[in-house]
Amino acid sequence: MTMASARTGVAPASRTETELALEGLWRVVVLNDPVNLMSYVVLVFRKVLGFDEPTARRHMLEVHEQGRSVVWIGVREKAEAYVFTLQQWHLTARLEPDEKD
Amino acid sequence: MKRIEVKLSLPVVAPLLDLIKAAAGDLGGQLAAPQHLQDLDEELRTAWQADLLGGQNDDCRRFLALFDRDFFSSGTVSFDEDNAESVLRACAAIRLRLRGRELKSLPDEAIESGGVDVTHLNEALTKAFMCYVFLATLQELIIQHLDSAILEG
Repeated sequence: MTMASARTGVAPASRTETELALEGLWRVVVLNDPVNLMSYVVLVFRKVLGFDEPTARRHMLEVHEQGRSVVWIGVREKAEAYVFTLQQWHLTARLEPDEKD
Repeated sequence: MKRIEVKLSLPVVAPLLDLIKAAAGDLGGQLAAPQHLQDLDEELRTAWQADLLGGQNDDCRRFLALFDRDFFSSGTVSFDEDNAESVLRACAAIRLRLRGRELKSLPDEAIESGGVDVTHLNEALTKAFMCYVFLATLQELIIQHLDSAILEG
C-alpha cells in the first residue's frame, strides 16, 4: 500500500469522527475557585450568559457548593464563545461534550 | 454617565500599591486562572490563550493607570461604565495571583469565610492579605454602584 492510498483510506473516517464529535452538543461548565466573590460570579453570569438574578445566583451557589455547574448546553461554536468570555472574566470555565448517561 | 469617586486613605493604600503592581507584573506572561483547553486543537488553543493574555494585560494596565500622580495628590479614584469592567477583571486577576503565590499558605476555608486573623500573620502575609481585601472592596463598590451600567454595556 502506498502512502497516498493509505491516506485516502484513513483520512475520511477520522474526519467523520471529528465532525461528529464537533457537531454534538457541548456543555459550558464553570468550576469553583476560592477567590472570586459570589457577587462577582453572579454579575459575570448575568453579563455573559444573560441570566436573570435568581438563575445567576442558583448557578453561583451550585458552583460554590458542588464545585461545578453546567451553565449552558448547545452547539460547539457558541459553547466555545461562552467559555472564552467566562475565561476573560477569570472564571474557571471548560468545554465538555454533553454525554448522556 | 454614572460615575463613582472613591476617596481612599493614602497612608493605607499607597504601601499596598507596590505589591499590587508586582503581582500584576508577574501576570504579564501568564493567565491568572487555570484554564482547561484540552478540547481545542493546538492552533486554536494558542490563539485563544494569546487573546486572553492580551485582554488580561490591557485590563491590568487600565487599572494601574488609576493610581497616577493625581491619585497621590487627591487620594481619589473614579469608576464609570468605561473602566468598570476592566477594573473588575483586573482586580480578579490580581487577587487570583496573590492567592496562588503570596497567600498560598492560608487555607481556603479561612479566606472564604473571612476568618483570617491578621494579628497572627507575618508582615509580608499581612500586606498581601490587605491587598487581597482592598481589591475585593473595590470590586464590591463597583458591583454595588455600577452593575446596571455593566449589564447594559
